[in-house]
Amino acid sequence: MDHGPDIGMQTDDVMARAVLAAVLFHAPVLVIRFDAAQRVTFTNTYAQRMLGHALRERTLAALLVEFSPAIDLRALLAQPDATHMLTLRTAAGVPESFMFRFFPVADETLAVGYLDVQEQRRLQEEVLLLNQTLNNLTRQLQQANAELRDLNQLKNVFLGMAAHDLRNPLGVILTYTGFILDEASARLTAEQCGFLSTCQNAAASMQRLIGDFLDVAMIESGALRIEPAPVSIAAIIANVLQLARLLAAKKNVALHLPEIPDEWRIMADGPKLEQVILNLVSNAIEYSRPGQHVWLSTRWAPPALTLAVCDEGPGIAPADQACLFTAFAHTGARKTAGERSVGLGLVIARKIIEAHHGRIWVESVPGHGATFSFTVPIHATDTLTPRNHG
Amino acid sequence: MSTAPPSLAQPAPAAQTARNAEYHGYLQALLAGDRRGCQDVVEHWLAAGTHVRVLYEELFRRSLYEVGTQWEQGRVSVATEHSATAISEGLLNLVYPALFNQPRVGLAAVVACSANEYHQIGGKMVADVFELHGWRGYFLGANTPLCDLLALIREKQPAAVALSLTVHFNFDALLNFISAIRTAFPTVTMLVGGQAFQHADQQQLAQFNDVHHVASLTDLETWITARTLACRPTM
Repeated sequence: MDHGPDIGMQTDDVMARAVLAAVLFHAPVLVIRFDAAQRVTFTNTYAQRMLGHALRERTLAALLVEFSPAIDLRALLAQPDATHMLTLRTAAGVPESFMFRFFPVADETLAVGYLDVQEQRRLQEEVLLLNQTLNNLTRQLQQANAELRDLNQLKNVFLGMAAHDLRNPLGVILTYTGFILDEASARLTAEQCGFLSTCQNAAASMQRLIGDFLDVAMIESGALRIEPAPVSIAAIIANVLQLARLLAAKKNVALHLPEIPDEWRIMADGPKLEQVILNLVSNAIEYSRPGQHVWLSTRWAPPALTLAVCDEGPGIAPADQACLFTAFAHTGARKTAGERSVGLGLVIARKIIEAHHGRIWVESVPGHGATFSFTVPIHATDTLTPRNHG
Repeated sequence: MSTAPPSLAQPAPAAQTARNAEYHGYLQALLAGDRRGCQDVVEHWLAAGTHVRVLYEELFRRSLYEVGTQWEQGRVSVATEHSATAISEGLLNLVYPALFNQPRVGLAAVVACSANEYHQIGGKMVADVFELHGWRGYFLGANTPLCDLLALIREKQPAAVALSLTVHFNFDALLNFISAIRTAFPTVTMLVGGQAFQHADQQQLAQFNDVHHVASLTDLETWITARTLACRPTM
């Protein structure tokens, strides 16, 4: 059996005692003695510190982590020159792997274990490197987010400028095509009038689109201003109806509206709320086929007013519902008369409703229509009427 | 007459004493591996409106230099030094939300540690100071491969490249980096700094054109301010 290199020490009693004391009380080495029944009869200071004090009478198997394979001391003693890696449960509650050698002493066994410093060092270096990498990535992420914010801001400025500059010439086109249709249509052929109407419709469509772009640019730059004032829900709905009835009649869609008491008033930005409701009702009509129905309903239930628009259209798949209120979101469904949309209406609606401290959502089963609802708060000073209309 | 912002102005003696006491509390927490205790001090300084550069100089840099000194004197272990560095680096993340929202001046700097240089926190603070002044401070991390550094310089076209050196032993590697960068980019300004320059022969830098040693974050701020003004478009 190899007893190690000759270190030139005189193995007299004094030296032996000094070495023994150093190992037993000061060295970072586990010293554990097992009796013939493989139970602990002695542990040194380091073993008590690492593994806890209540080790006496416990077996080697009880010191190991639960998933260790069954170990028999006799089998380990049969390999006197081998080093065995054993994972023990430490007093700190975490498993730790120690390198052990086993020595027979009469009918007992002495186990001497130590931590592999090289392994610990490698682990430490790896953890430090990972920590550095994580911190660098965190910095890069923050930096990239800041750059994206700057770019988004730049995009909004550009979008706002472009939309603003396009709006004026479009206004001119709309005005003059209107003049010609009103004043000179008698001198034009039906075909020429048709061309002018197409020009006017295209320009009006583009004007709406530009309006959406300007709204989004304003919202994203944080410039969306809500100007609350006492508004009548009945008046808002009446304004929406002026346009919605035309759309519905054109597509032969039946529009059902509740009777709304005049005294329902809330503090809100009337024109913006009107914009939201018109968007929801227009969408409902545009996704409906001729002969289908669209219902608008309201519920006055302080502290919130709920308004819902329900259609019998194709519905929206659950996956599409999740991103419906984000910019440029499109569902698989198509508007039934080929109406165009860039997918900004609902994000504008969401921003307006959220700016009113309300909530907007959709409920839909594909093939069975969709219901878009929103709430806006009713304040203590608003009119309270305990009736629902739908 | 120009007046320094309150957070940068010399604090009143009582405030300086309090700040010093907090620094020592922070240092004790750092040496004990008490991340939470350190974080409390940083958050308190940030909430009090302390300028980021003051935080870096008077808390992070000062404490890490002290830990380094204690390590050299055998008073703290390698593990403690590593732990202090890791805690400090993690705490830098607390500053970032404010750091990256400064108005931009349209200039960029690339900051790196040379090959074999594993101490990166100094370089990262340098990159952060650039951000603080409206520059984009791109930081490549420890032990930067030269090819990666050259590629990033090519991509970002920075007005300055800053190289950080903590261990003097790596000085020759730093000179090789400077030489390679100068060959590839004859006109880019290079700044060098770090703890290693306490012992380095700075005369060796004289062989390169437009390479400057920056001794402290304060000196760096002076340089950045001057360069920002020089690059500002004239009306």
